[in-house]
Amino acid sequence: MIAEAASPARTSDSATGARVSIRGLGKSYGSVTAVTDVSMDIESGEFVALLGPSGSGKTTVLMMLAGFELPTGGEILIDGRDCTRLPPQKRDIGMVFQHYSLFPHMNVRDNVAFPLKMRGIGAAERRRRADAALEVVRLGGYGDRSPKQLSGGQQQRVALARAIVYEPKLLLMDEPLSALDKNLREEMQLEIKRLHSELGITIVFVTHDQGEALTMADRVAVLRDGKIQQLSPSRELYERPANLFAASFVGEMNLIPGQWDGATITLASGDSLVPPPQAFPQPVAPGAALLAFRPERLALAPAGTPGALPATVREVVYAGADTLIIAAMPDGTEIRARVPSAGSRDIAGGTAIALVCPPDAMLVYAGGAA
Amino acid sequence: MAGFFAWRGRHLPPPVVALLMAPFFMLIVFAFLYPILSLLSLSVTEPQPGLGNYAKIVENPLYATVLMRTLWIAVVVTVCSLLLAFPLAMAMAQARGAMALLLTACVLLPFWSSVLVRTAAWSVLLQRNGIVNGLLQWVGLTSEPVRLLYTEGAVVIAMTHVLMPFMVLPIYGALRNIPPDYGRAAAICGAGPIRRFFEVTFPLALPGVMGGAILVFLTALGYFITPALLGSPKEQMIATLISQQLREFLDWPFAAALVGVLTVFVTAITLAFSKVFRFDRMMGGQL
Repeated sequence: MIAEAASPARTSDSATGARVSIRGLGKSYGSVTAVTDVSMDIESGEFVALLGPSGSGKTTVLMMLAGFELPTGGEILIDGRDCTRLPPQKRDIGMVFQHYSLFPHMNVRDNVAFPLKMRGIGAAERRRRADAALEVVRLGGYGDRSPKQLSGGQQQRVALARAIVYEPKLLLMDEPLSALDKNLREEMQLEIKRLHSELGITIVFVTHDQGEALTMADRVAVLRDGKIQQLSPSRELYERPANLFAASFVGEMNLIPGQWDGATITLASGDSLVPPPQAFPQPVAPGAALLAFRPERLALAPAGTPGALPATVREVVYAGADTLIIAAMPDGTEIRARVPSAGSRDIAGGTAIALVCPPDAMLVYAGGAA
Repeated sequence: MAGFFAWRGRHLPPPVVALLMAPFFMLIVFAFLYPILSLLSLSVTEPQPGLGNYAKIVENPLYATVLMRTLWIAVVVTVCSLLLAFPLAMAMAQARGAMALLLTACVLLPFWSSVLVRTAAWSVLLQRNGIVNGLLQWVGLTSEPVRLLYTEGAVVIAMTHVLMPFMVLPIYGALRNIPPDYGRAAAICGAGPIRRFFEVTFPLALPGVMGGAILVFLTALGYFITPALLGSPKEQMIATLISQQLREFLDWPFAAALVGVLTVFVTAITLAFSKVFRFDRMMGGQL
């Protein structure tokens, strides 16, 4: 019988991103509850955004993922390992902070090499890898400068290099772009997307900017009052918000009060519409309801078009590529439409128009006023 | 501390700046520059013009000994203050609410009583039948009272106690100015608490440390009451020596020469400090 050396079973998959599993996570400070029963499973290499207004608990969730805050309930598993109570320095996570947090007493290279130094890697190897990480964020040759000599965007790229230099499997970002101006922010969004696809790293990204969340993330978790309102792919979140909060928080949304009788929704203006079955993210009992649709899904039609909603233009706001038309329905309810600027030249305040709402743009939510 | 310096960066017109600084400069000129310059001129004109008084200092090794001892005690007091002040400043910077108030009060409270009172308190504590000796015997470290008073140790302990607040406050200011995200960034990069301290916290608090060190060191160099009350002639420091020359021997020119030597030392040390660490950064504790 031939003795065969046991080949070690390859247990880990080849993907470089960590799987993160958050189960029933809660955090309260005394009697104040910041986070309640947050659960989500993040796949290896996934880009998840935590989106919410300030005080929604999104940052607290991130702080618990990083290990800066201890949860008062639930658990956090990273690649199956229970990290709930592990101190941050033992988690092997990369993190980018809102205000860069580059160490002012070190030059750029020493900042980037800092995590390597903490891991006992020799000076020559540190230097090589730090310079390589700076190349990745397109700051090769900046190693000897002081962080203060760099612009905000460059500083944030150094922070990014520092976060990825030791090749962590999970990268956390705490509103990393909010301190940058608009052009730089868009450039950095693309830069981070590029890095994400190049490195295959799992990213959890906190932002209060819904456009940023939709642009960057594979999936977006909308939080409010410490609870997840919706966790779904960007497109689904935008096109089919699960509830009224998600609908009104993400993007512009017309919310028109009406009465739902199980077949048609009758608006206060007297118009009746028949929403298709897929217009109901959640079941709505007959009674007071809200008809929701995105302003850009409305099409402009001549006044009197059958099946369209009649309205009178109040205000026309030109915004370059498109134009926002703020109009009033016969009962005074405001309705907004965003139409391509090219075709709306002759619209002015006081014009009687009609707005066509395609059935697949309709959403119906239970409840009265938003 | 930080709020006090928040004025910086706001630009006032030069005449206003001059007006604001006028009282301070008048005080400096009349109460400091004029007396010290006239005293120093005394040292080179009396009893005969020339450097005779300074020659006397160089000739007698006693004066060099006193000067060296003064420098030594000032260094020891500075180091002791730093070692005691840093943990306290860290606790203050991290404390919130009532705890922060309590700690700040404890640091500032001694300022409400005079140095004389605090020094006298130490002579009570350290005397032959005082509390400290009683404690030492009760614990069993000694079988009979030890001589604590009129020793270098007594001088160092009391001076450290009196001067420590000047070390605590600038360090506290520097620590408060370190954004909490720096510590978090270091932690997530893999640094445990000890490495976070030595790699990030301490280097960033260094301007405060330097500011505190120079305050304590320079004040200690010219310290008078504490060494006079708690030290024996063997612990005599230069300020006591100067006072002795003035009041007992009425030798103003020679005392002036000692002042001159001390002034040269203080100026040299101050310049050396400011060469390495820029002064304007010290009090604000910003890098």
